[in-house]
Amino acid sequence: MLEEIKSIKKAPVEEYYVPGHRTCAGCGPALQYRLVAKAAGPNTIFLGPTGCMYVANTSYACGPWATPWMHTQITNGGAVASGVEAAFKAMIRKHKTDAEFPNIIVMAGDGGTSDIGIQALSAAFYRGHNILFICYDNESYANTGIQASPMTPYGAWTTFTPAGPVVPEGKKLMPKDITKIMAHGHPELKYLATASLSYPIDLMNKVRKGLNANGPAFLYIHAPCPKGWSFPADKTVEIGKLAVETGMIQLYELIDGEYKLTYKPTKYKPITEYIKYQGRFSHLQPEHIEKLQQFANQRLKEVGVEVEAPTITT
Amino acid sequence: MGVKKRMSGCVATANAIRLADVDVICSYPIRPYTGIMSELARMVADGELDAEFVLGEGEHGQLSVVYGAAAAGARAFTGSSGVGVMYAMELYSPISGERLPLQMCIADRTLDPPGDFGSEQTDAMCCRDQGWIQGWASTPQEALDISLMYYRIGEDPRVLLPQYACQDGYFVSHILGEVDVPTQAEVKAFLPPYKNHHVLDVKNPMIIGAQIEPQMGPGLQYQRYLAVEGSRKVIEEVHEEFADIFGRKYDPWIEEYMTEGAETVIFIQGGHAETGKTVVRRLRNLGEKVGLVRLRTIRPFPTQQVRECLSRFKAVGVIDNSVSFGIACSAGILLTEVRAAIYDMGDKVKTVGFVAGLGGEMITHDEFYKVFKKLKEVVKTGRVDKESYWLPFEL
Repeated sequence: MLEEIKSIKKAPVEEYYVPGHRTCAGCGPALQYRLVAKAAGPNTIFLGPTGCMYVANTSYACGPWATPWMHTQITNGGAVASGVEAAFKAMIRKHKTDAEFPNIIVMAGDGGTSDIGIQALSAAFYRGHNILFICYDNESYANTGIQASPMTPYGAWTTFTPAGPVVPEGKKLMPKDITKIMAHGHPELKYLATASLSYPIDLMNKVRKGLNANGPAFLYIHAPCPKGWSFPADKTVEIGKLAVETGMIQLYELIDGEYKLTYKPTKYKPITEYIKYQGRFSHLQPEHIEKLQQFANQRLKEVGVEVEAPTITT
Repeated sequence: MGVKKRMSGCVATANAIRLADVDVICSYPIRPYTGIMSELARMVADGELDAEFVLGEGEHGQLSVVYGAAAAGARAFTGSSGVGVMYAMELYSPISGERLPLQMCIADRTLDPPGDFGSEQTDAMCCRDQGWIQGWASTPQEALDISLMYYRIGEDPRVLLPQYACQDGYFVSHILGEVDVPTQAEVKAFLPPYKNHHVLDVKNPMIIGAQIEPQMGPGLQYQRYLAVEGSRKVIEEVHEEFADIFGRKYDPWIEEYMTEGAETVIFIQGGHAETGKTVVRRLRNLGEKVGLVRLRTIRPFPTQQVRECLSRFKAVGVIDNSVSFGIACSAGILLTEVRAAIYDMGDKVKTVGFVAGLGGEMITHDEFYKVFKKLKEVVKTGRVDKESYWLPFEL
């Protein structure tokens, strides 16, 4: 069992995500990867579906993992993890290995989780494999140059949802809520939570709870992307905080079928405080911003937080 | 010597998988291979086989699961038919390129459209470029035997390649044949435990499948090419070892049937060869100089062996039980590969292609007679007036 980390000072010193990647300056997913690897420790096998945390991490046949790591297709992180898990179960039971059962972690982007990878993810969870599936959400298909994924927010510019006279808001569709999809309907689910790289202790402890769960664990991690969202590379952590403080992102765990917030701002700021720093929203008109505010309020309501709709004045 | 039983190709394959003490199996139902998986599920439930029986979500998922399992160091098995084989296409290159010697049994089936449960070799033939060991069993006995041999070949440290153990849907997968089921002791002597150079092991961390720059590409592909070419020697060794332990001797590449003194032969792959053999026997009884050559291993293609064998005949009727629309010479894949293999012999050996048995139909005795009649005509005139025939429409 991995123990709770009580504070930053008590966090493990060892790094398992080390130099050897070439992610963008300020890359959110890379920052959370380091925290995840630190929390998981050395008895860990990572599976990397195609995406930024594959391509930008291994570009020259190298990589930053001090633990075993294998590439999977963007389609099948959940399925490959299932196979690794089944293999260790069988080999240990049949005395074909003296290995201990390892942490098996899929590190999938929002596309590899909620879109092309959803079938394999759902099947793995239906079957009850002892794996941790992490969705690092940078809210686009970033590796291929910023295209819309089902988790790209309403109103966000991407190369597949550019704003123009015909489509003034850019992205018209509201995003999927993959966490809620996973929370209901998979009887073998053992642990589910959301996290953000801007709240590192909370994130690392949720990783450990997921790994301790002895069954399928799902962890959504919000990971801002300076390149895709158009904000300065040194503002990643700040943007992540604003996402939570405006209610766009909620930090919670599913405990006995109920959502329990693990962090709640004393007062929610209007979402304008979040989107004003991001170029991908710069084309939005007041009516679009209002819709986005309603979206945030609705997501908060779903986890038991009633907010008065703040008046949008700009 | 094991126990002789009557069983279908599906059940024979399942017995091989049981004897191979496979660790991870991933299932998904599609006709006609499903019987392999239901027999394996029964074996696991009855305690005859200790394996993780993973209920896959689809064929793409199946190949993904066994890919992960093999990378972790487990002996893994899966299978499919028809469009299922196509759905998993994305995985075939990663599996062979990462040198994971898992096995897939394909009980072949025609592709959509529309739905047709009948046998046709098209599904597995579409995979022939992916760097796997591949061949067709023509009887349930052979289905069991190639499954065992393919694990041995594929897992050999000089090879480390996955294998497609193919059999004709229905004709082999479902029709009963007599099968000598080996003992566990015999298989243990033949098939050592699976040990790969590169596995997911926290004691020896590795990065498997890192992204590369284009300039690194050719070298990786060349390595895989060398592995496939290098498997030829191992395939021959393993067939010798198999004969020694199990008492059944197969030519690794081609089976010749009544070819002594033949002037015309049929070149064919899989279960339809059994029908062809009956026709050859009857024609021989009538004094006709005919024979049959059955291709046992299509990948790697036995170029030299095919060349040497076919050079002894005057005309060869190549039977393609698959479609490849628009292919050179307008018949099928086997005709084109045979022609490539014997190209250097110039015009000495005439070849004609016959696309037959599509959709799950039998290749009938009548069709085989017509093929031999056409070949006899080719020998007489010294000309191939038409190089491809789609049976039964064009002869």
